Amino acid sequence: MSKEGMMRWRIAASCKGPVLVLVLAGIAACGTPQLAPPQTVEPIRISQALGQGDPARRASIRLVVQGLEEDEAGRPQRARGSYERALQVDPTNPYAYLAMARHDLALGEAEDALDFIEQAAALFESEGLRRPEVGVHLIGLRAEALRAGGSNEEAQLYYETAGDLAPEVWGDGVLSASELR
Amino acid sequence: MVKKKKAAARRKAARSSGPTRRKKSAARARSQRAVGGRWTGWKRVAGLTLLLVSFLGGLFVSRWVLELDQVVVERFEGRTFAVPSRVFSAPLIVYPGADWQRLELADWLLRLGYREQPEGGAIEPGRYVWSPGRLRVHLRSFDHPARPEPARELIFELAQGQVVGILDAQSGQLMDVVVLEPEPVSAFLGRDREQRDLVEIEEVPPHLVDAIFAVEDQRFTAHHGVDLRRVLGAVWANLRAGRITQGASTLTQQLVKNFFLTPERTFSRKLQEACMALIVEARFSKPEILQAYLNEIYLGQRGATAVHGVGEASRLYFGKSAADLTVAEAALIAAIIQSPNGISPHRRPERAVARRDLVLGLMRDQGRISNRSYQAAVAEPLRLATIQTETGEVRYFLDALSQQLPEVYAGEVLTSEGLRIYSTLDPRLQRAAARALRQGLERIEASVSDSSKPQGSLQGCLIALRPQTGEVLALVGGRDYGQSQFNRCTQARRQVGSVFKPFVYVAALDRRTGPAVTLASFIEDEPFEVEVPGDDQIWRPENYDHIFRGPVSVREALERSLNVPAARLGEQVGMTRVVELARRLGIRSPLPAVPSLALGTAEISPLELARAYATLANGGRRPTPRMFVDVVEINGMAQESRPLDASVAVLDPATAYLGVSLLEGVVDRGTARRIRSAGLKGPIAAKTGTTDDEFDLWFVGFTPELVAVVWVGYDEPGPVGMPSSRGALPIWADFLKQAVGTEVRGRFAQPRGIVRVDVDPTSGALALSGCPARKPELFLEGTQPVATCPPSKERGGSESGFRRTLRRWFGAD
Repeated sequence: MSKEGMMRWRIAASCKGPVLVLVLAGIAACGTPQLAPPQTVEPIRISQALGQGDPARRASIRLVVQGLEEDEAGRPQRARGSYERALQVDPTNPYAYLAMARHDLALGEAEDALDFIEQAAALFESEGLRRPEVGVHLIGLRAEALRAGGSNEEAQLYYETAGDLAPEVWGDGVLSASELR
Repeated sequence: MVKKKKAAARRKAARSSGPTRRKKSAARARSQRAVGGRWTGWKRVAGLTLLLVSFLGGLFVSRWVLELDQVVVERFEGRTFAVPSRVFSAPLIVYPGADWQRLELADWLLRLGYREQPEGGAIEPGRYVWSPGRLRVHLRSFDHPARPEPARELIFELAQGQVVGILDAQSGQLMDVVVLEPEPVSAFLGRDREQRDLVEIEEVPPHLVDAIFAVEDQRFTAHHGVDLRRVLGAVWANLRAGRITQGASTLTQQLVKNFFLTPERTFSRKLQEACMALIVEARFSKPEILQAYLNEIYLGQRGATAVHGVGEASRLYFGKSAADLTVAEAALIAAIIQSPNGISPHRRPERAVARRDLVLGLMRDQGRISNRSYQAAVAEPLRLATIQTETGEVRYFLDALSQQLPEVYAGEVLTSEGLRIYSTLDPRLQRAAARALRQGLERIEASVSDSSKPQGSLQGCLIALRPQTGEVLALVGGRDYGQSQFNRCTQARRQVGSVFKPFVYVAALDRRTGPAVTLASFIEDEPFEVEVPGDDQIWRPENYDHIFRGPVSVREALERSLNVPAARLGEQVGMTRVVELARRLGIRSPLPAVPSLALGTAEISPLELARAYATLANGGRRPTPRMFVDVVEINGMAQESRPLDASVAVLDPATAYLGVSLLEGVVDRGTARRIRSAGLKGPIAAKTGTTDDEFDLWFVGFTPELVAVVWVGYDEPGPVGMPSSRGALPIWADFLKQAVGTEVRGRFAQPRGIVRVDVDPTSGALALSGCPARKPELFLEGTQPVATCPPSKERGGSESGFRRTLRRWFGAD
């Protein structure tokens, strides 16, 4: 397996979704993505999670969605306030960390963003929510964070993987607040 | 005509007089000149002296006036008022499904100064109406540059202790979540302990100004600082009464007196007051003077804090801003200016209402309100907001918060610039912490005989934070802030005893450095000695009960908090590795890498311990403690913010999870099992700690969403007289019950890399069918036991699943 193939394997493993793992395993085994047409996924939108979980989680997700709306409207401070309130209600809400990672990347805070991505990944994992449609955002956001941190080569591989999996969202290499909402 | 005749006669006489007569006349003239010269000289001296005195007096007066002028200008043109910075809590967030009684929603309304509206109809902002199963409240707007909330009327549907629905009364829309405004929890008061909420003249309702004019200074707009007409009237009235019955101070004079002068009643002080009042009027406009007056005037007490200005008084008495005062409320504020404590509406409501009605009468008589308004206002019952006096314990939080603020916010800035500091404090948890600690300390003292008590007061501290974000939710740094401001949560470093042991175990389990043991491994609990490095002494650790138990599993050793296995494990792992792990978790205090460190001989602060345990609770991610969110200047601009720092991964999540599992065992079966008997259910992990001779009692515990540390001891170390499980644990349990109830939410999420297998509790081997006993145990993936119970005949001791299935099916045991 080529180095690039190995990298894709690692990325796939970080995604941990059964479908995605199978898809990426195929891609990785082939070495180059051109050899196997990638199977795409429909990335999660946080508003889809509204109504899920216990009352605190539901309220927390609503606040995350409000934050994304504020980010969309170009009010990052208010958005940040909403995300932090979401964590006040439910500090284990992985969607809040995902949204904060996106928010931080949009503001150029790559280091913090990477930590939020990891926290989100750990919480999605522990809640059994780390599905391909979530994993693709973790891959894409990690790509953004890596690029911002200067690791362009590695970032490119993550970008390509995210772009292959969800071209409509990650094709441009950026996750907007509306795409995540 | 007569004068002319006399002059002609004098001229004639002069012409007719001879030389002799002329000589006499000349001598007389000389004599007269001599006397007249003496007279003229005296007059000249007197005149000159008078001139000089007048000149000097004028100079003195001018200088005095200039000095007064300088004082006036400096005070008025500089920052006029020292406004203490206020500290606000985190907001209260309410949502369907929330326990409204635990959230203390009803108390929140009272604390924020909301008032019940008994009659029906539209509800004003700041009012609420309870009805069976329903709370209707008109929320006031919350002004914040980044997190504003609009004023709106909401209906909370309540059933069986829960909020079952939230409805926007205007739009009829159901709401998923509502953020209620933060509570003011305290303020950084200056030495004078004055609290005020500044108002701009434009935001003061005209009827409040009218009420003050009516009773305090009718001719404010006409006079120039001193109202001579009123002075004469007062003099006449006082002369007639034979004593001082009437004052004549204008608002300007009152302002000058409060601003610059002492309250003594002497002529010189009155003169100075009048002079300064004239200067103030000459220098500044009427609106400027009135605004200064409205912000300066003393209007009562909130506990030990003096309330100045109509803004703060409106909040004190009516729980609302000055802009929202009704005519009757405005009249009451004007009424109490004369004697805020003598006519205190809280203490003497009848007197306050009587004087309010007097003010309303004056307003009507002076044409400031109509008769109809007067009738409506006098009929308005007195409805006061509940006074919220600050509890001293919150001052510990403030002190710690001020340490976190950037250096630009030094003491004087905090006490004078009217900043609004939004903190992470959860007031409900803060009250719970203060109550649990106070009651716990009293309980301990009551159960220990006086003869065995050391000198001084038994002290304690309780700190609680959110493990994922590091936000400090509650902090009580001592028993009584008034007696001792030393913050035992952040400033004290005390020997930690057994609460350090989990760091030894986690270091031994750490995947990063290669696990030295598993939870099913066995350690010898047998007499054991170690040479202390750099010392000729031998250290022989013993258990608390002086009993040796032989081989014990790693899990059991920690659950029972056994010293000898912990010391052995420390030796096995190496204290350098233990210290390195403790550092990663967030301990910053000195940690000497000596064998006894395994038993907690290091001195560490409760805040550090809270952070280290939070790292375990947070899946090996270390949070940064945070106590403030942002600082907003008096003009409403955000000045400084402290965004949430992402926690940093410092420990493999699977290893952290094993640590959590160990500590859950301490609660379920070990030294902290009283937590369960206290009625607490759900995911709780904790560790007790009692140092030698019971000098320090510790209890550190956490749920998936809350970490709390309790310390109990004497400032001058002495025996408390009981172990942690009886002293610190009940305080922690009380706190948690009040904070989250008896059913703890959530779960400790199991990360990847953990396997759960059944083991033989006597050997730690993999328990197969036929093993006489078994219990489930957690392992890092790849570290599960290879040996089996019963021992496999195959090499390596393991058997295939297929063989195992066959044996189970065919009963091959």
